[in-house]
Amino acid sequence: MANYFNTLPLREQLEQLGKCRFMDSSEFADGVDALKGKKMVVIGCGAQGLNQGLNLRDSGLDVSYALRPEAIAQKRQSWKNATENGFVVGTYEDLIPTADVVLNLTPDKQHTPVVKAVMPLMKQGACLSYSHGFNIVEEGMQIREDLTVIMVAPKCPGSEVRAEYVRGFGVPTLIAVHEDNDPKGEGLALAKAYAVGTGGHKAGVLMSSFIAEVKSDLMGEQTILCGMLQTGSILCFDKMVEEGIDAGYASKLIQFGWETITEALKYGGVTNMLDRLSNPAKIKAFDLSEELKVIMRPLYNKHQDDIIDGTFSRVMMEDWANDDKNLLGWRAETAETNFEKTPAGDVEISEQEFFDNGILMVAMVKAGVELAFETMTAAGIIAESAYYESLHETPLIANTIARKKLYEMNATISDTAEYGCYLYNHACLPLLGDFMKDIKTDVIGKGLSVEDNGVDNARLIEVNEALRSHPVEAIGSVLRGHMADMKKIV
Amino acid sequence: MDKTTRLGSIQLEKATVNFDDRFTLSEIDWTIEQNQHWVITGTNGSGKSALAAVLAGVGDIENGTISNLPTKVGLVSFEAQAELIAKELKKDDADIMDVIAIGTPVEEMIFDHCQDPELAKTLVDKFGLTPLLDRAFRKLSTGETRKVMLIRALSSKPDLLILDEPFDGLDVDTLAMLQAHLASIIDTTPMVLVLNRFDEMPDFITHIAYVDHGRLALTVDKNDENAFNELYQLLHLKTTDLSVPEADPANTLPALDPSQPLVKLNQATIKYGETVIVDKLDWTIEKGQHWQLSGPNGSGKTGVLSLITGDHPQCYVNDIFVFGFQRGNGESIWQIKQFIGYVSTALQWEYRVSTSCRNVIISGFYDSIGMYTKSSDKQKKIADQWLTLLGMNDRADQPFNKLSYGDQRLLLIARAMVKHPPLLILDEPCLGLDDMNRQLVLALIEKICQGSETTVLYVNHHTEDRINGIENYLGLKKN
Repeated sequence: MANYFNTLPLREQLEQLGKCRFMDSSEFADGVDALKGKKMVVIGCGAQGLNQGLNLRDSGLDVSYALRPEAIAQKRQSWKNATENGFVVGTYEDLIPTADVVLNLTPDKQHTPVVKAVMPLMKQGACLSYSHGFNIVEEGMQIREDLTVIMVAPKCPGSEVRAEYVRGFGVPTLIAVHEDNDPKGEGLALAKAYAVGTGGHKAGVLMSSFIAEVKSDLMGEQTILCGMLQTGSILCFDKMVEEGIDAGYASKLIQFGWETITEALKYGGVTNMLDRLSNPAKIKAFDLSEELKVIMRPLYNKHQDDIIDGTFSRVMMEDWANDDKNLLGWRAETAETNFEKTPAGDVEISEQEFFDNGILMVAMVKAGVELAFETMTAAGIIAESAYYESLHETPLIANTIARKKLYEMNATISDTAEYGCYLYNHACLPLLGDFMKDIKTDVIGKGLSVEDNGVDNARLIEVNEALRSHPVEAIGSVLRGHMADMKKIV
Repeated sequence: MDKTTRLGSIQLEKATVNFDDRFTLSEIDWTIEQNQHWVITGTNGSGKSALAAVLAGVGDIENGTISNLPTKVGLVSFEAQAELIAKELKKDDADIMDVIAIGTPVEEMIFDHCQDPELAKTLVDKFGLTPLLDRAFRKLSTGETRKVMLIRALSSKPDLLILDEPFDGLDVDTLAMLQAHLASIIDTTPMVLVLNRFDEMPDFITHIAYVDHGRLALTVDKNDENAFNELYQLLHLKTTDLSVPEADPANTLPALDPSQPLVKLNQATIKYGETVIVDKLDWTIEKGQHWQLSGPNGSGKTGVLSLITGDHPQCYVNDIFVFGFQRGNGESIWQIKQFIGYVSTALQWEYRVSTSCRNVIISGFYDSIGMYTKSSDKQKKIADQWLTLLGMNDRADQPFNKLSYGDQRLLLIARAMVKHPPLLILDEPCLGLDDMNRQLVLALIEKICQGSETTVLYVNHHTEDRINGIENYLGLKKN
């Protein structure tokens, strides 16, 4: 199978990358009608599979689950998930031939064998749906010509997809139609109905393309989301310990700091995150982030370039074929870092203290979010996509670090994300070596020691202006406007 | 060990204590002697839970002094329970890609860090939790999580036991058992109980503290009969004329066929693996036929209700007819929910959004948690009428999640009633309410029962909370 994106002419590549439109709620007036009475069969019953299925059924749709015979025979967790919730469960052979829509909600790595197994069983003219386009775009999976291929990708973890639906709301969702596989021209209608069925239309739907989704999703997860947080955790921890700060305190400041500062990001963007600092600290964080952006920009460019031309997925799939040697080796190394091995100390850190004593962390998040956003949009990805794949998802990943540090983060993100995180971390640690030499505890661990909070007026105005006029802030305030009454991460 | 060495008298002198800027207790003068057992009482939002929490070291002391606080406190409260549940739920919130969190098993919640495993084991047995030990904590019912909290506190060998509404939500047998257990430890364990219901005050209580608007308004020795009676009067609802605000005329529902029942469950069954929670229940609710549902903790009351509301996933494998829909034929849950007003403790746990009090009431028109659409002026006006009725009109724009537990409950009851639904489901609505507000809510329910539009389904443990107008009873047994 060849990389699908690389088979397209440049004109087509650019058009697909630039495809992204925030849809108007009036476009969902038909509700779930296009799927009414159709048989939807979900493959995979993990968090996405189960929770999307629960929502679709509660929206009046006919949902059942196809599992592998061994999952059924051994009554594995996926079988329990589906049966305890009152769903019909059967083998591929039982259910796929009757399906009007097959929802492939298995992990990326299983897509090729799963799709190869179900495709011959699918009935003429049915629809195959994905929640991530890696298989189509990077692996070049060829789908039977009579089948319609769509993508519906909720931009949140499965549990959140369900929780928001139950509250009468939904999560932001990206939909796409694979134009090579839309023989009856019904792909968009099906994708829209599916997004309504999961509640996504209430939180905002982006009409995108398989290509734009894959190229932006990969970029976000390996740079700002996982790579920057992992690299930042290790650098900040080692620096604090080197400067004599209690290791337990340092560990706690980082483990829970990312979550606390990105909660501010979630509510009010980079601007609000920086506004949580005192004026002198804000200016300091701003200056640090400008410096970081200059140092790291070539790395972000390289990640984006490798993603665009397919180098990234080729190298990763080589590692898949080599029994994940690189990935597993690195995973073991992560478990051995001092940050990972030092438990969070039994000390009280107030919400504000995470900002005041974590100025460098704030600067790293700002630099990472802005760089990822800038690099994506420079590669032709539209601002809406770039926002969701950078800023929007950062608090979600930070939350996994708060739970059980880096190992937990790497264990719960997809294999694809973890491989990207590995590449980023490998390159970024040495890249920031010189920068870290000048870092002291005033920006990580202890906070600024200033006589008073006085700052120069002109400089403050300059910094505020630069923060507020960044393009990620403009699109962010529009998209957050669709997420009223956001739930607090308690 | 001699008590006097373990705990001297706790002393608060002109203490002003701040709670995250959301509440302040002012100038508290209070002494708790080592051989006293106290009840703290007061209206919802008065600060009684806050005063109890101070004894557990919560809050920032802004003025005055607090001395001789016990080092080891056993604390059970709705806030602590909510916190524990939120902590468990958070584990679930965080699964980023494709992992379903199972949650901490009950056994681990109870026996990890337990000071007296023997006692804990006995209590687990007495509370009937033995079969639930390997169940995930967050899968428990509200009553069951409460029992876990109680066992943790009782078996922690505390210097002071603080129980904030310990009896709410317990069935009759469990309540008697707990009261007997408390009575058996009075010589070794000083206690402070926060209680809304005077009639639940155990005999061993020696003193009562009455809190009003963040101040300790009165302390009463129980042997002083006159003072005690005065306090009782103070807490009773003044008789007022209640009128229920009207519904929104713009909010019209599809017409129901009057010849069909509202709800018909046929051989309804809920089971998890081999464990059967509800077994072949037949139940028909006709329009205008008000019902009271009762049964011990874990008998499946909430399960049955959620089959009706559509919140239980197994409603799709049961024979259920609701509001003209035979379930599982392409109807959406929102088509069902539009006919229902609903309040329960679980709803309150889930209602954690930063939204205003007014919006919480208006969200009842949309069956949503939080508001995602623009409301009409008429709806705002109706919400304000409800706020006035509850005596909360000055809080219309305050954030809901900063209110006390009881005030939140009152708002959620208004939210359930606001659209005058064909079916109003009140799952232990008075949990956490003080005497005054409980009377208010019961009076409101009676009023609604008298009208012809709404059929009421009422769940309660307390037999004295009978409502005039409810004449049908369904008792569930534990399987």
